[in-house]
Amino acid sequence: MTSLTTFYLSRLLGCNIFDIRENILGRIHDVYIRMHTSSDDYQSGNPQVIGFAIHVNGKNKDAMLDNLQIVKFGIHYKVQCQSMTLVSHNMFSDAVLLKESILDQQIVDLNGRKLVRVNDIRMVTIAAGTFVVAVDVGTEGLLRRLGVSRFFKRILQPFGGNIPSKFILWDDVETIDPDTFNIQLSQTRSKLNTIHPSDLADIIEDMSKNYQTPIFSSLDEEHAADVLEELRVKEQVHIIESLPLGKAADVLEKMPANEAADLMDHLEEDKTEQLLLEMEPEASEEVRDLLEYPDGTIGSLMTSEILTFMAEQTVSDVIDQIRTEKPEMESLYSLFVVDEKNTLKGIITMRDLLIADLQAPLERVMNTNLNCVNDYDRLDAISGIVSKYNLLAVPVINEHDELEGMVVIDDLFDELLGKRRTS
Amino acid sequence: MTVKKITNNKLLKKIGLFLAILGPGIITGSVDNDAGGITTYSVAGAMYGYNLIWTLIPSFLVLLVVQEMNARMGIVTGKGLATLIRENAGVKITFFIFLGLLLADIGNTTTEFAGVAGSLEVFGVSKYISVPLVGFIVWVLVVKGTYTVAERIFLIFSVSLLTYVVSALLGHPHWAEIGHSIVMPQVKADGSTIAMVLGLVGTTIAPWMQFYMQSSVIEKKLKISQYNYVMVDIIIGCIGTVIVAFFIMVACASTLHENHIVINEAKDAALALKPLAGAFASQLFAFGLFIASIFSATILPLATAFYVCEAFGFDAGISKKWGEAQEFYTLYTAIIIISVGIILLPNAPLIGISIWSQVINAILLPVVLICMILLVNNKKIMGRYVNKPIINLIGWATVAILIGLSLMLLVSSFIVK
Repeated sequence: MTSLTTFYLSRLLGCNIFDIRENILGRIHDVYIRMHTSSDDYQSGNPQVIGFAIHVNGKNKDAMLDNLQIVKFGIHYKVQCQSMTLVSHNMFSDAVLLKESILDQQIVDLNGRKLVRVNDIRMVTIAAGTFVVAVDVGTEGLLRRLGVSRFFKRILQPFGGNIPSKFILWDDVETIDPDTFNIQLSQTRSKLNTIHPSDLADIIEDMSKNYQTPIFSSLDEEHAADVLEELRVKEQVHIIESLPLGKAADVLEKMPANEAADLMDHLEEDKTEQLLLEMEPEASEEVRDLLEYPDGTIGSLMTSEILTFMAEQTVSDVIDQIRTEKPEMESLYSLFVVDEKNTLKGIITMRDLLIADLQAPLERVMNTNLNCVNDYDRLDAISGIVSKYNLLAVPVINEHDELEGMVVIDDLFDELLGKRRTS
Repeated sequence: MTVKKITNNKLLKKIGLFLAILGPGIITGSVDNDAGGITTYSVAGAMYGYNLIWTLIPSFLVLLVVQEMNARMGIVTGKGLATLIRENAGVKITFFIFLGLLLADIGNTTTEFAGVAGSLEVFGVSKYISVPLVGFIVWVLVVKGTYTVAERIFLIFSVSLLTYVVSALLGHPHWAEIGHSIVMPQVKADGSTIAMVLGLVGTTIAPWMQFYMQSSVIEKKLKISQYNYVMVDIIIGCIGTVIVAFFIMVACASTLHENHIVINEAKDAALALKPLAGAFASQLFAFGLFIASIFSATILPLATAFYVCEAFGFDAGISKKWGEAQEFYTLYTAIIIISVGIILLPNAPLIGISIWSQVINAILLPVVLICMILLVNNKKIMGRYVNKPIINLIGWATVAILIGLSLMLLVSSFIVK
């Protein structure tokens, strides 16, 4: 007879609990955990078991079990405890039920950056209590739940085969079920903020739609804007429509204006109008301008977030301004020199800037060989120019030769791949 | 002027909205009349004449109720039926349901390829050429990711199922007799009749379709505010299914039954129609069979692989690459290879396979229905969109009748032996 320090949730569920005198106290139906323990001991990041949902005489009760042990006799297991105290349900109002909310549900694997389904849960009992250590997402967990894992292992053993098992430590997972998630969120910042926006967008696309908005709302605003940009149109529309207006407007402000305009193209007109009114005037003005352009024109793809300078300014002025403004990477693909009428005079690349003398005025550094496109030109016009002159960005001018913005190669690439338009 | 323009726009908008939503019900409805369905309806028509046509009325009602539940569950939860079963019933029940579904669906897919073989044999193409070729095309369609395009093309082609109307009319059916037998059906409650009725219900409301229906609703990201459009879509789909079934039965009843010709396969029906209703009717029948078979042969293995992976937590979906969703593509490929392989065996027991897959279907249907009714009545899952009493009544009555019929079949087969 040995007592187990580590065990699986599936070993507990549905088992009778015995006291020391071999009386059956009830049957374990589910396990309450507290997501984060406040104490700073060894297992502080891991959820601690704080109680049990049990069936006693056909009724559902909540209970605390003292000194819970899983004892192994040969190949049989027995769940024992010193004593059982029935408690009121309020005790566990901020707790999460393991079987109901985590077992068999989908969670995010932060390292693998995808959704996985929980087949079993690995737990450990130490002096400080019982804790959740890891989730089992492998085939072995499935077979264990079916009660045939031992059988398969025995068959495969002579052939040197093994059943693939896969565990993910609790630190590396995040729950997505809205109720559980909210409980967890009240105690800590979402771990999802550490995932790259593109990966997180893929994960959100795979979730069922009722989970998407709560998960999205939990993200920091900057991160949320980056994720929204990477989502498919279908998910973008769903999330923006189901977020509260103010929150949606906040996120849209943080997005590049051309992306926001693209998204709003797919919303209903009155929704777009409400959002534009709610957004900061400066941001909404930019989006409004871009919304005017019909689909398939260069204007619809252009970004108006560009850096412009005067010909008399020096290289060091430009570098100073970039350091104070800290613009996005895309805005730095190409810098523009204009006159007072906002007419394009020259283009400066990062390379020009880096190799030039700091005190040189821009008119000596800039490239005056201009390849512009017109904002109402068809999109097909642009790819030839980009590939012929190896440009990262192409300036866009209007019919009065004023600089309106630029088209960057990233957006053009997405457009050519058809990523934004399809699905 | 402006006023008129606005109303026009509104109407256009409504039509546009409907067309965007359109699909799940209609596609499910047309996949419903697959090779197995056509075979069952033909055999029923040839053996029982007009006498079993009445079964289409309760079938229609149940089909409607079941699909409505699927659509509602999909819209409210945003989760597939496989996911809901796994999350709420645990691994064991899920495993047995999906083991059954997998077996039944391999059988069903085999039947689809039998349909492909049979229909092209009518046009003189050997099955040793047609089946591997179609199997390969179907496989490539999905793996190379042109499935969505293919689905649209099939959907347009599925209008050709209406050729059965023409085939039926060419056989000069007796309308008065049809009407009489619908109102006052004469049925003997013997083993083979019960088996036939079960087969008819099982093929009209095949268990895998419930999973398929719910997934396509989710794929479309439908909202509860669009519920009315969804209902229209479902009703059109169900009516289409039943109309096609009706005319297949009529075509076979008015020709084959009256001349006492016994058939075992849908192909037999096509061939037997030739001297009775003309070569054109026969070819139309075969063409309809071909389209239906190839449509379902594409969707069925795909749907099966998808919901098995969904239930057990493997990555799945045609938008994923082979390396990202290995289990999904392996399963999908295996189902096609097994089905094609069985058809290519000389003397393959095709009739046995088609009967057995229908028997598994008929056993699984009440199990899946029970799961569905329990899920859809769960307030935690469905909130205020749980079933209305009338839907529950129809659902439970169907379950009871199906189980009752299955038991009667079991008992009667013992008595005969």
